[in-house]
Amino acid sequence: MTTTANTETAAPTQAVHWDLHYDIHLGETWSQFMEGLRQKKILATGCSSCVRVFVPPQAYCESCFEPTDGWRELPHEGTLEVFTVAWHGFTGGPQAPYAIGAIRLDGASTLLMHWVVGVDFTPGADVREQLPFGTRVRAVWAEERTGQILDIAHFEPVG
Amino acid sequence: MAYRAAVAGVGLTEATSPRKQTRSTIELCQQAVQATLAHSGASPDSIDAIVTGNIDGFEGTVLGAKHVTRLLGIGADLPVTIVNTGGTTGGNLMQVAARMVRSGTHRRVLVLGGPTFFGSTDLQSAINTNSPMIIEQPLGMGGYHMGAFAASAYQERYGLTADDLAAVAVADHAKASRNPFAHLRYEMTPEEVLAGRPLSSPLTQPMVCPISTSAVAMLVADPEDVADLATTPALIKAMGMSADPYLGGGKGDFSRMQNLANLARRVYALADIRDPLGEFDAVEIFAPYAHMQPMQLEALGFAPPGGGIDLIRSGATDAGGTLPTNMSGGPKCTNAGVAGELAPYAYAALQVMGDAPASIQIPGARRSLGHGTGGSFFQFENLAIFESLARSN
Amino acid sequence: MKPPIGRGAAQRAVAPVHVVGAASTRFLPEHDAMLDELVFEAVYKALRECGLRKQDLGLSVLASMDVLDGRSISSGLTNSAAGGYLGDSFRVEGDAGLAIVCAAQAIASGDVEVAVAVGVYNPERSGGAATRRAFVEQVSNLGFEPHFDRPIAMTANASYALQAGYGLVDRTVADYATLAADEISRGGGLERSLRRFAATQDDVLASVPIAWPLHELMLPAYSTGAVAIVLASPARAGRCLGRDARLTGLGHATGGYTWPGEWLTDPGATSRRAARMALAQAAVSPDQIELAEISAPTPALHRPYVDALGVGGETTINASGGLRSNFPGLANGALRLLEVVDLLSVRPRGTTAVSHSVDTETGIVSEDVTLLVAEAI
Repeated sequence: MTTTANTETAAPTQAVHWDLHYDIHLGETWSQFMEGLRQKKILATGCSSCVRVFVPPQAYCESCFEPTDGWRELPHEGTLEVFTVAWHGFTGGPQAPYAIGAIRLDGASTLLMHWVVGVDFTPGADVREQLPFGTRVRAVWAEERTGQILDIAHFEPVG
Repeated sequence: MAYRAAVAGVGLTEATSPRKQTRSTIELCQQAVQATLAHSGASPDSIDAIVTGNIDGFEGTVLGAKHVTRLLGIGADLPVTIVNTGGTTGGNLMQVAARMVRSGTHRRVLVLGGPTFFGSTDLQSAINTNSPMIIEQPLGMGGYHMGAFAASAYQERYGLTADDLAAVAVADHAKASRNPFAHLRYEMTPEEVLAGRPLSSPLTQPMVCPISTSAVAMLVADPEDVADLATTPALIKAMGMSADPYLGGGKGDFSRMQNLANLARRVYALADIRDPLGEFDAVEIFAPYAHMQPMQLEALGFAPPGGGIDLIRSGATDAGGTLPTNMSGGPKCTNAGVAGELAPYAYAALQVMGDAPASIQIPGARRSLGHGTGGSFFQFENLAIFESLARSN
Repeated sequence: MKPPIGRGAAQRAVAPVHVVGAASTRFLPEHDAMLDELVFEAVYKALRECGLRKQDLGLSVLASMDVLDGRSISSGLTNSAAGGYLGDSFRVEGDAGLAIVCAAQAIASGDVEVAVAVGVYNPERSGGAATRRAFVEQVSNLGFEPHFDRPIAMTANASYALQAGYGLVDRTVADYATLAADEISRGGGLERSLRRFAATQDDVLASVPIAWPLHELMLPAYSTGAVAIVLASPARAGRCLGRDARLTGLGHATGGYTWPGEWLTDPGATSRRAARMALAQAAVSPDQIELAEISAPTPALHRPYVDALGVGGETTINASGGLRSNFPGLANGALRLLEVVDLLSVRPRGTTAVSHSVDTETGIVSEDVTLLVAEAI
């Protein structure tokens, strides 16, 4: 390293703060998905033209470019294909460390991203040792559910 | 009627951290534009449009180009096209400009990439706002967290080791140390890379890009229309873009860059590339995180699946190797947002123009490849192939 | 003598591009939909109309803005809905007219055979018209230069009001009101209008004052939705179904910032440059233009724009009621072209029309203008 903080020249700046409030329109598809979560259901949509099953649900299949049809409920179990441990988070984000995984629920064509537990957070440990990729995991529901993705608290290893 | 398009000039500023940067966004952009005009020899009044990119949530301005481009000293009322495709904005700027020239609506278009990451106090927090709203954003993912998914999956599948990741970072730093326009111009040892602060497994801080401030510009012109110019233009021989689904979970397989592989086949066919490893003299790829370079080399057809690291360790991607890759040091050592995304195209074009900084120029380079990628979970990819164009006059 | 290079150079020939599909969602004050659902609906309908599939697309160009869409890189969400999955696609932050120009350039280049341009507008803020207008004005303020103009609350509407006030030298507020009332009344019976009523000068003057001298009914009838235009090469258009019109001119110009003052003294200047470029490509003179859709955000800009385009006399201007009847924000450029090709479809071959659109992010300051010349086939 060639520089340290105390030798750096501080350039003149002006603080600018944005205060924008948004109400994101959920639309029909995600409204239904969120209502499902409130009822401890994981709902998916299927393409009307091919066999792809989307979770989170999509209103259309990007490959066939046809609307999806037919809601279906998926099991709460699947395979943890990959995860990363966030050792360092960001302003306004969750408290690090936390593990974010990509889970293929049984019957889904897509991966659902969510938090996973069961990882050894000891510094220096191989994070995959206690929770190998390919582990079967299941959803753990939050006590209070309000129709948002964190109605699933996280996924945990099965058994 | 249809026309051809070439890069006829490139301008780069020096890069440094936001904290040490004493120039403003406007001043950096002015400097890159002036450098482009000086390089090409084009007069300001020969430019008939500007294509630039803004990523509003990162910059503290909304469509900042609306005032910045009025102050570049090349005319206060040039037509401006503002493109935003996240991390692929830079490469897409040149492709949009090339289409303007190729269609005949314009003759000379200035492409400008500014310092997008200049001003945001926590960039990972800003990047989290492009994480899919409602569904994936609450999980807490910034740029390198998203990147770490591919690193983890690739590691699992092909056995990439931490030492391998360190070797990529070490090579990038060695290259950046020779580039006067790079930000992190110091060499690192594998031990230093491995001992860096863990960010998101398996990545440590020295394996991910810095936040830089700099500006990059280029002039895209009709190569038949360069009598007044000073450079050997870089013909834009072929180009293309490709996109994955929105949700990170829609990609299916994080261990392979299938979207880029699809695009490479398409763009190589346009340029009649039959043997990628043998046909490029220089390659500049957008690999801000260490694991991306081997994965991209594979997707681009330079190495078999899992073989990217062997290509890097063999020395083939160093100066004097068969596939000099990221002689600039790449985005791993300099990443100023849209400027950083335009940089691979700028360096790739400079190589075949013969005008790269002497310390990183590949002697006699005739054909080069430029690459860009970005968006949430690197949703978007773009490629362009440049060829040295002998002047007709 | 060598021909001049650059801004003084003669316009080169540009290959024509056909409009083969044009469709929209419904236009509502506020849509309860994800942005990608709106984009998908418009693009899906536009492709169906001409018998094409997503797999026929060589390029998708979107027009939208992150800061209205409530997320950075919002095109990540909407890209697949525009047909961009595994294909060439990008997003412009600006009016859909510019997306149409970009898509047409790709076809005129000979690089692609079929392209779609789509604009989407549904600001992610709920709470009634006043709240939504305040939000859009807040975003507009962020579009102004941060150190000098933002602190004094410059917004699009402020710039429009300044220009309208400046223009009162040879016109009166009543003149503005009359023009607004005429446009509202003309569009009042049409399906795409958001103002389904007839209005008088008095109604306009009695509507809510926004910023002197502008009143609510002088401003655009803001709506939300998505509009998609499918373009094809002449060769490919021959094998498409449904509508067919030909774009022969693609004009684009951007105005200066506040400093030079042209936005006050000559507010039609940017439109004039766009028109000059497009008409030169099309090799038509203004007196050949029989139909025009002109996007004047205020009545005070109507006359400067009309003069800039050189139309008048026999030209039918804004049969749709223009922006006073429906203004779907960034999707406007595509809506204006949709109106034009609808009109051309019942006109004789060779009828020439123009579609003029502006972005309103920073109002008349740094105004971005597109002008498309279309011809009935």
